[in-house]
Amino acid sequence: MRTHILTVEDDERIRTAVKLALEAEGWEVAEAAAGSEALERFEQRPADVVLIDIMLPDIDGFEVCREIRKTSDVPIVMVTARDDTHDIVAGLEAGADDYLTKPFAPKELSARIRALLRRTRSVDAGAPHLRFGDLEVVPDEGTVRLAGAEVHLTKTEFRLLVELASNPGRVFSREVLLERVWGYDYFGDGRLVDVHIRRLRTKVEADPANPRHVVTVRGLGYKLQT
Amino acid sequence: MAFRLRHRPLRLRTRVMVSFALGAALLSMVLSVSTYTLARRNFLHQRERDTIQRAYLDAQNVQRQLTTQAANADQLGKALQSVATGSGTYPVIQIPNPAGQLVDQSTNTQFGLDALPARLTASVRDGNPALMRASIDGQTMLVVGLPLPTLRVDGAIGEYYEIVSLQDISQTLNTLANVLVITMVGTTLLGIALGWWVSRGVLRPIGAIGLAAEAIASGRLGTRLEETSDPDLERIVDTFNHMAANLETRIEQDARFTSDVSHELRSPITTLAASMGVLEARRDDIPEGPARAAVDLMSADLQRFQQLVEDLLEISRYDAGAIRLELSEIQITELVRAVLAGQHLDVPVYVDPALENASVRVDKRRLSRVIANLLDNAVKYGDGPTRMEITEVDDHVRIAVEDAGSGVSESDRAVIFDRFSRGSAAGRRSSGSAGVGLGLALVSEHLRLQGGRVWVEDRPDKKPGARFVVELDDAARVARSDEATVP
Repeated sequence: MRTHILTVEDDERIRTAVKLALEAEGWEVAEAAAGSEALERFEQRPADVVLIDIMLPDIDGFEVCREIRKTSDVPIVMVTARDDTHDIVAGLEAGADDYLTKPFAPKELSARIRALLRRTRSVDAGAPHLRFGDLEVVPDEGTVRLAGAEVHLTKTEFRLLVELASNPGRVFSREVLLERVWGYDYFGDGRLVDVHIRRLRTKVEADPANPRHVVTVRGLGYKLQT
Repeated sequence: MAFRLRHRPLRLRTRVMVSFALGAALLSMVLSVSTYTLARRNFLHQRERDTIQRAYLDAQNVQRQLTTQAANADQLGKALQSVATGSGTYPVIQIPNPAGQLVDQSTNTQFGLDALPARLTASVRDGNPALMRASIDGQTMLVVGLPLPTLRVDGAIGEYYEIVSLQDISQTLNTLANVLVITMVGTTLLGIALGWWVSRGVLRPIGAIGLAAEAIASGRLGTRLEETSDPDLERIVDTFNHMAANLETRIEQDARFTSDVSHELRSPITTLAASMGVLEARRDDIPEGPARAAVDLMSADLQRFQQLVEDLLEISRYDAGAIRLELSEIQITELVRAVLAGQHLDVPVYVDPALENASVRVDKRRLSRVIANLLDNAVKYGDGPTRMEITEVDDHVRIAVEDAGSGVSESDRAVIFDRFSRGSAAGRRSSGSAGVGLGLALVSEHLRLQGGRVWVEDRPDKKPGARFVVELDDAARVARSDEATVP
């Protein structure tokens, strides 16, 4: 089955050009010009990757992202015309896996999508079953349990957790995590890591404000501990 | 338009306080001096009148008791006893005896006839009463001299004097003077206090305006002054608030405009870039010839256009002050090597051994743009970078990019970091090559925001070429003992 991409963008010309560029990559592309239309489309036929423009005529991109996240862990890329921190962080907080600022090169877009698709495939954690105190990770099953109860993570969050779990106690710098989880080179945006770590903590920590498992090592990065 | 303030040697508050103090001091001085003068005159006047009155009575009394025939010291002493009233009054008498000699007597040897001023005695001797203030034995005394015409022998007549001490009056006046001086000092202090209070009242609104202006300058545009009922302040408060509101609107409009322009420009470029991507992917389907050449041209200039728009937007954000730094700790050598790799450049990098694993706290994206722009500049105008250096001078980390071009002339060094300035480099640019002078302007802006700076100098080895040096803020250097443990 061909990879199916849903692109939500109100500007018809951009939408068409992006569709052309993605189809040139061999992907199947569905379009939506507004937030409500995007949610309908997604309900009818879930996509493998969703591109959401923040500025939409009806419901804004953040809301679309949150709505999709309620039912799905599909990789989401937010597209923003403004590269101000507020929009980017708000998009990531809403549940997006990655972001792109306009104007983006089509090569960059397809590289991001490919990286996200790779992420949804299986992950190698080196062990079938990992346990950190009350936190359990089963990479093969793709499940995480906190104190016995299953925790629902998005694919990116899961990937991030498994990456940290692959070498417990070791400090991973943002750059390393960007490269391994997102497929970025050195110049990826460290905020991607920070926001995802924050979201991960709300799910795998009993008290996200005082994390016990996913710990920040100031100035260096993050590590996982029991 | 700027209002130039005249140079003031003193603060406003000090001046107000000094004025009040001087005013109070002057006023109290005038009052004190006139009080003192009036009191002194009244006291002395009263005392003179009393003294004269009593002296006449005493003189009559003495005159009745004495005759020239009985002019000897004992009699005179007895007569004086009868008039010696109260302390501080010293009568002196002199009368001629039948032999024509003058006999004198006084109740106190200290204040005898000899002590009297000659002018006074001369006047009395001529038959005229006289009054005089004189300093006798170091004390101020009032002296009344009366002729005793009935006691006459030949040309000489009897003389009667009363010396009255003014000691009590001068004591009273001293006390008064002390009281007045204390009052004067008190009034002056009160003046200072009043000046302080008044200046506080005047300066408080000014201080409030200053604080509000400061708050607005630091970005809290919603700051307003509190409404006041004082008609004098009302106008300035209204004007200030009006100005602040206008400023806020203007800045918001500017920000919205930048954001709108940004959005408006980015949308078509996104379409163009995506479409160009499709064309590039199908480049081989386009037959060789004018069409393919046109696509290649468009592709190259689209990138250049995109970069220019990005730079313009970035610089307009600086102008609007809407820049927020994203500081993080990074290894400086890693960053430089990553930028070189990203630019596909192979340039030898000399690294100070102490900095091999050193971390700096910077905005990673902006610092990499700085280095990338300098490398880009070296490629475009300096025949490519030849060497890079990472060193440390006085806790400031320095990153240098050297090229082997024709260098930058002294006159261009100051302007090369201005916007759209290419200096004389424009002369040797091959026509049509990409690039406008925003790259170095952005370098300078990026660094200024992070407390760093950039300059251009000759190559230290004296070979032709330029050396661009970036100096980071010394606060950016992160001292860490375990910096080698970064994975």
